[in-house]
Amino acid sequence: MVDGDMEALIEELLQCRRCGICREAVYERGGFDGVCPVWENSAGFETSFMRGKMIVALALLEGRLERSAACAESLYTCTLCGNCTQICGAEFDPAHTLETVRAVLSDIPNPVRDRVTADIMAHNNPYVDDNTEKRAWTARLDFDVPTEGEVLYFVGCTAGIRVPETAIATARILHSAGIDFCVVEDEPCCGSVMMRTGAVDSAHENAARVIEAVERAGAERIVVSCAGCLKALRKDFPEALGTRLPEVVHVVGLVQQLIAEGRLTPHDTGEHLSVTYHDPCHMGRELGIYDAPREVMGALPGVELVEMATTRAAAKCCGAGGGLRSFDPGLSERIATARVNEALATGADILATACPFCVSNLQRGATGASGSVKVVDIVQLVVERLR
Amino acid sequence: MDASVLERLKEIVGEQYLSTREDVLLAYSMSASTGYDPVLPAAVVRPADTREVAEVLRVANEHGIPVTPRCGGSSLQGEVVPQEGGLVVDLLRLRDITLFRDLRSVRVGAGVTFAALDRYLADHDLWVPIFPESALVCTLAGNVAVNGAGPGSSRYGCIAEMVLGLEVVLADGRIVQTGTEANPDAPGPYLRYAFGPDLTGLFIGSLGTLGIITAVSLKTFRRIHHFDYNTYGFDTAGAAERFVLELKENDIGVLFASIYEGRILEFFLDMLGEEYGVPQHDWPPYTVSATIGRLREDQLASDVALARRICEDIGGHVIGITELPRGEWDDRMRTFVRSSYAHGWHWRILYHHQPPSNWHRSVEEIWAVLDEYGLLGHTAGFLSGHGSYNFYPHCYFYPTDPDEEAKVRSAHAELARRLFATGAVPFKLAPYWVAGVEEMAPYLDLLRQLKRALDPNGILNPGVLGGL
Repeated sequence: MVDGDMEALIEELLQCRRCGICREAVYERGGFDGVCPVWENSAGFETSFMRGKMIVALALLEGRLERSAACAESLYTCTLCGNCTQICGAEFDPAHTLETVRAVLSDIPNPVRDRVTADIMAHNNPYVDDNTEKRAWTARLDFDVPTEGEVLYFVGCTAGIRVPETAIATARILHSAGIDFCVVEDEPCCGSVMMRTGAVDSAHENAARVIEAVERAGAERIVVSCAGCLKALRKDFPEALGTRLPEVVHVVGLVQQLIAEGRLTPHDTGEHLSVTYHDPCHMGRELGIYDAPREVMGALPGVELVEMATTRAAAKCCGAGGGLRSFDPGLSERIATARVNEALATGADILATACPFCVSNLQRGATGASGSVKVVDIVQLVVERLR
Repeated sequence: MDASVLERLKEIVGEQYLSTREDVLLAYSMSASTGYDPVLPAAVVRPADTREVAEVLRVANEHGIPVTPRCGGSSLQGEVVPQEGGLVVDLLRLRDITLFRDLRSVRVGAGVTFAALDRYLADHDLWVPIFPESALVCTLAGNVAVNGAGPGSSRYGCIAEMVLGLEVVLADGRIVQTGTEANPDAPGPYLRYAFGPDLTGLFIGSLGTLGIITAVSLKTFRRIHHFDYNTYGFDTAGAAERFVLELKENDIGVLFASIYEGRILEFFLDMLGEEYGVPQHDWPPYTVSATIGRLREDQLASDVALARRICEDIGGHVIGITELPRGEWDDRMRTFVRSSYAHGWHWRILYHHQPPSNWHRSVEEIWAVLDEYGLLGHTAGFLSGHGSYNFYPHCYFYPTDPDEEAKVRSAHAELARRLFATGAVPFKLAPYWVAGVEEMAPYLDLLRQLKRALDPNGILNPGVLGGL
């Protein structure tokens, strides 16, 4: 990092005057019922929430704290959910600043980050599975999916490998609307986790694979079903990696448009469902997409939306993001359980969201929750009403 | 810290809630007090309840380990900067709330923030009607330890006026309950001045130097829903001072009233005027921004009419811009955080009270010192009770400029001396208020004797209260 950039980063960190509002604010006017999910679900020392992380980051950068894995650990026990940014009184973005700090301090050993990065670079996904799995779900469809076309469904690692129900539902929706789409062979990872965890060089290398895959497909439009992929491809690629991609849309935004245009008509299944919605951080706070999923649910006959205590810009995180699920799976799961408990408090039958990574973590969290609620992707609710 | 001591602390709070990690200690070496040097403690514990706090103090007392109690870490005058090699006791896990509806009171653990309590009480259409400007972060117990104030204080005074009793852990681990709850058969907190001397008051504003407050019992009030927001203009400081005094004299339900000098108001509005929708206006030399609140609409209408008449009788005029006081009151949990941090500077603050009739003296001295030292800063404040006005002047510095920061520290000490001479008083007895002030010797001697009696080994937050 050049000196000027380092000075700018330190100035950013000094914007934190340590007021501590990022810890647990119950700020009803802003919709906040607490802020930091890590503070709430850990031993709760100062380094668990953003004020402490800013102090540690500054000391590491200025050489006042040893650049060791132990001293830097707290920088990684954060989902980068951005709730702190939403409530911060200062004119800066602590979550993005922490992400930059991770990149600048990437020379500090971090075996977990390095392992995840190496896995992605070796397998094109972080799950160390055969990457052909990412397209295997297409065999369960009753129509063919080509590998080239104007519309590319960029499946994402989690939907492709861990939550194929999301991928299948997305494909069926596109097919129902008469949209021809393709899914490439050996789809690369979007690289989101590498950008979040400071593995910037690898993220650049990975981005070249993504661009090559998009070009190979001949795509002019990219549809994603993962909030992490959406943020990475739509925002990080041009802004952080300096690369250009065709238009990137989330399937939920597309469904909203298709319903409005009359190209999709959800039917009444005769079932009445009370559904609460979890705002994925990458879709909500990062990209400001709050209305589309709610409008889609509003258009589903028999579906009644009941909101949780924290929603939209003040929504609590599912606990999966920022690399936390790899760095501290137990903490990540406790955060998910807390979010599921928030959903249970609404009395909803279903906890829906618009990100397979959130679905996956919330499903893990649901096992320890105080009651039972089904966790699904919105696209599953949609596709069930298209049959 | 000795390994055997750490082992005992671990047995008390559990391994998970004891830390000696270098990064954690660094984070506890400082607080929201910018312009104060960080000091590394040797360990931090996060006890679960009063019993654990008591056991921790017994160990610390036995070994002469300095202890810094800490709640939200939002104090601004170095109150929770620990001692080198000391022990920080983080109290945020003490989160019980018990409502005594029929006693018009509530008891909260030391880890309960104002905002959390307010939400809890709102469900019962009640409130504790004082909101320190760090209400989203700071706890009732921490605020009682510094005797803070904020929106609501213009009518109800500092937080001390709300306190009915305290649970305090003394340095040797004894647990003392003050107020009516000292009688275990009492139905709860309903009178502070029970059993003679005001032992409750002894610990209020003591900055944790005489004991650690682990629970606070407070008065609750029916929540007010009828408000009037307005701004009142005056040509002279004297008229503005007279106006706020008359609001009190006439028992007008003014929840929050601030006198703004023209240039200060411009500074705030340049920062946040648009955010709060305050329209452009050619503001007078002195503006009073006031929120009046009453339980009943007829009371409110009467108060509003009387405030207008008083303003005009004094020679002022009702400006009629409501967005400024509305932003101050309706967004009282956050607006002051915004105005303190939106500008980017670090700062030292010098909290003090004046009588409203002496408002201009504080303003004069603050500007004089800032000008003499060539510093930027501001002064703002609010009517804070029966006959007092709370000031919170800020002296700005840029944290990467050590010369400027040193200048701010010097200016700060000089300002404390000058303000003292105007008759101002601090509500947090920071050392710089009494350094070299001979007239305070008898008062400090008594404090010293009390400190020795309650904390003979001097382990509790040493050096913070007037240097004791």
